[in-house]
Amino acid sequence: MAEPTVSKRTYFFTFLSLLGLTLLTTLLGFLDIGSLNTAIALGLATVKACLIAAFFMHALHESRTVRVVMFAGVIWLLIMISLTVVDFMSRSW
Amino acid sequence: MAEPATLILREQFRTPVQQRETATLGMWIFLATEVMLFGGLFLAFTVYRMYNPAAFIQGSADMNIMLGAINTAVLIGSSFTMALAVHSAETGDRKLLTAFLTSTMVLGAVFLAIKFTEYYLHYLDRRVPGPGFSFPGPEASRAEMFFVLYFIMTGLHALHMFIGEGILFSMILRNRAGSFTAEYHTPVELAGLYWHFVDVIWVFLFAIFYIEGLHLHGK
Repeated sequence: MAEPTVSKRTYFFTFLSLLGLTLLTTLLGFLDIGSLNTAIALGLATVKACLIAAFFMHALHESRTVRVVMFAGVIWLLIMISLTVVDFMSRSW
Repeated sequence: MAEPATLILREQFRTPVQQRETATLGMWIFLATEVMLFGGLFLAFTVYRMYNPAAFIQGSADMNIMLGAINTAVLIGSSFTMALAVHSAETGDRKLLTAFLTSTMVLGAVFLAIKFTEYYLHYLDRRVPGPGFSFPGPEASRAEMFFVLYFIMTGLHALHMFIGEGILFSMILRNRAGSFTAEYHTPVELAGLYWHFVDVIWVFLFAIFYIEGLHLHGK
C-alpha cells in the first residue's frame, strides 16, 4: 500500500477541470438557447460527476463487484426517470 | 489505550485486502441507496418541471447565482482537500492527514454558512413556501412548488453535509489516537467516498436549480 491509488497531480488536474466546468456551466447558462440550456447544464453536470467518481472516488481502481454496484445504482435511476418521463409525456395522447 | 489503536485484521476476514474490499463494497451499496433517496426527489422535480416549465424557469431565475457558483467552487475545493486527505492516509502522513481533514471540514462549514445565508435571503424575499409566500407574476402558485422542491432537496443535501462534518470530525479524533497507518486507513477512504458523493449530488442540484433561469437575469 506504499503507492497511493491516485497521484496528487491527477487530483489537482481533476480539481481544475471541475472548477473550469463550473465556470463554463455558469457562463453558458446566461445564453438564451431554449431547451438546450437544460441539456447543456445536465450534460456538463454529468461530466463533472464522472470526473469526481473516476478520480476522487477511485472508481477506476475498484474491483468488478464494486463497479457492478455503481452501475446498478445509476442504471436503476435512469430507468426510473426515463420510464416516468415517457409515461407523463404520453398521457395526453 | 489497552487495545492496539490500529486494527489490521478482524477475525472474520482472511486477508486485509478482503477486509478492505468488503468495507468498500458495503459503502458503495449504501451510496446506491442514497442514489435512490435523492433519485426520488430528482424524479419529482423532473415531473413538476415538465408540467410547469415557465414557473420553474422563473423560480430558477430568482436564485442568487453568485452565491450558488461560489458554493459549488467551495464544495469542489473541499472534495479536493478530501482527496488529498486520502492520499496522506495512503502515504501514512498523519500530520498532513489531520491538516487536510480539518481543511475539508472548514470548507464544508463555509459551504453551509453560504447556504444558510441564501436561505435567509429567500426568507427576506418571502420565498419560503407557506402562508407568507409571495412571487411576482401569474405563475406564483406554480413557482411555490419550485421552492418546495428547492428547500427539500437542498435541505436534505445540507443535512448530509452536517453528517459529513461529524464523520470528518470523528476521523480527525481517530487519527489523533493513532488509528490510521499506511496499511490500515479504510475508514478515511470510506469517509472520502461519502464526502465526494455529497459533492456529486450538489453538482446536479446546482445544474437544476441555479442554471435554468440564468438567461432571464437582468430582464
